[in-house]
Amino acid sequence: MSFSTYITDKAGLQKFYEAVIGKHSTYAPVENFGKYDFKKVADLKECDPDSPIAGTMSIKPLFFPKSSKILKYKATSAGTEMSETDGDPLAEKRVILGAKHCDARSLQVLDHVYKWDYLDTDYQKRRDNTVIISTRCDKAGTHCFCTSLDYDMENLDALDVAIVSGDGGKIYLQARTAKGEEFLKGMEGGLRTADSSASEEMKKQYKSFESSFRLKMNYKEINEKLQKRFESEAFEIASSNCVSCNTCAFVCPTCHCFKVSDEKIKDEGVRYKSYDSCNNVYFTLMAGGHNPRPAKYRRWRQRSLHKFVYYKERFGVNLCVGCGKCTVSCPVNISIFEVVNTVANS
Amino acid sequence: MDYTKQIQDIAARLFSEGKIDVFIGYRNTGFDESQVPVLITQYGDVEKLVFSDKSVFNLTNYLKYEHTRNKRVGIVVKGCDSRALNLMLTENQAKRDRLYIVGIACEGVVDEKGVKAQNCTECVMPDAVVYDELLGTPAGKREYTVNADVKALAAKELTERTGFFEDVFSNCIRCNACRHSCPLCYCAKCCIDQESSSLYNGSNTDSSAFHALMTWSLHLAGRCVDCRNCEKACPSHLPLHLLHKQNEMVIYENFQEHLAGMVPEDRGAFYKYSLSDPDDFIM
Repeated sequence: MSFSTYITDKAGLQKFYEAVIGKHSTYAPVENFGKYDFKKVADLKECDPDSPIAGTMSIKPLFFPKSSKILKYKATSAGTEMSETDGDPLAEKRVILGAKHCDARSLQVLDHVYKWDYLDTDYQKRRDNTVIISTRCDKAGTHCFCTSLDYDMENLDALDVAIVSGDGGKIYLQARTAKGEEFLKGMEGGLRTADSSASEEMKKQYKSFESSFRLKMNYKEINEKLQKRFESEAFEIASSNCVSCNTCAFVCPTCHCFKVSDEKIKDEGVRYKSYDSCNNVYFTLMAGGHNPRPAKYRRWRQRSLHKFVYYKERFGVNLCVGCGKCTVSCPVNISIFEVVNTVANS
Repeated sequence: MDYTKQIQDIAARLFSEGKIDVFIGYRNTGFDESQVPVLITQYGDVEKLVFSDKSVFNLTNYLKYEHTRNKRVGIVVKGCDSRALNLMLTENQAKRDRLYIVGIACEGVVDEKGVKAQNCTECVMPDAVVYDELLGTPAGKREYTVNADVKALAAKELTERTGFFEDVFSNCIRCNACRHSCPLCYCAKCCIDQESSSLYNGSNTDSSAFHALMTWSLHLAGRCVDCRNCEKACPSHLPLHLLHKQNEMVIYENFQEHLAGMVPEDRGAFYKYSLSDPDDFIM
């Protein structure tokens, strides 16, 4: 099925952004303490949909927030009463503006686990009600390696509308899904249907984008080699400077582990689902005190193999989209690209 | 400030003389000018070591991990790092006779943009205060100053200040990078990790983040050496120094100009109790 491509220019794109924000409930990158977080915006002036890849956090919090309520409870003399929480603020019909392609891909990766043995209805609702408009990067960031992974970056269909720049200030808006097609039809003014030169120009842009990558690897080779590296000592060396915080997992668009905890006062409380990380020493601590992963290298091994072996075996995709956010945010600049490559080639 | 050659020579000497098991230093990441901490365990790797004004991370943090426990360690420390090390020695987190300390008379480190780090512009003690060998020319102790941001915040009403921190901490994702990057946060089980506590409870809500960070800052009051490992580690880029600097300022004013870790055997301001201690700064 082929979808429409529209053409506009810089001014037209700004108008399009304004129209989207005016018409829909929109989330976009907002500058916050020197980096960009996705927040609800009411005006284009508040946000920058073309924010740089390196300083922008992922869109994961819009689907899997740092903490969300599961249920409320109250202990009474008759027993425990449980009730549903108030409405989910992330479940409304909404548009995400300025997501990156890697972000959009991460949702495709996460869909596998959220639709697996248990259907996460909250996630599903948030996903169904969201239109993702994503700008294709012009240039790779220092830690990006998205083009080296198992997805077609050029024609990615994880997003609904792709914004790609063409020659001489031209900008193409391409619908990639039926949802995107419908969305673009509903947006009037400023957009003209593109002619046949569009696909060629977009290809050219992709080539120049692809050539800007510093990091390149063959993911198939990595998948294969890592399968045999469970006992590798290289994990210990590669992870020796890790400080065991949870940053990499929390900023990762594909990490999805969570913990369940209660916030209670006297007899009433709320049960929360919030981020957890396998880099945390308490992650595998069992009742009784045994911890199968007390050492740092074992936790790193889990993290690397889960991303490039286990998930791949189970769902057929890597649990990494090559966005490099973990490396950018790491207190000691540990690069997952470097770790998996070092271990694979050890 | 480039001591790459000297540090490589020292590490090579220590390994060949069999004096250390591991050397903690910095190496280039290779992709840009930034550096990462590296733990070197053999003579052959010493050429990886570098030191320049990009050597930002406070390496004494690694003394609390399994790679260095019960081992003979060579370590590079700048002025602020050495103050943290003094406290770690006092608090029995490291043993002096197992350490070979390469002190640096520091001229200040720079951030990714090449701008001198803010804490370096107001550094009280740029020279290492504990060392076996000192590189560079000591500049001596400087006058204690506090930047305008901290002063302005301290001058605000309590409710306003609380509101400010509530706003800031609502951006916290509770990844605990600040705590894990702090050399003086070495507790085997941190109080903010108590899942059953109704204050911290691990639920990552705004209120749990507020309580966790406030408790954390109070545990570091009188011990923080302003190395800003925490602030540089924060993925949300929160201005955590505003919290620590305020504590430091209050302690400096009320406890005979006490600054943490300036002398060996230093005990943090709150280690000892005297009836004449001032209490008018307490909320």
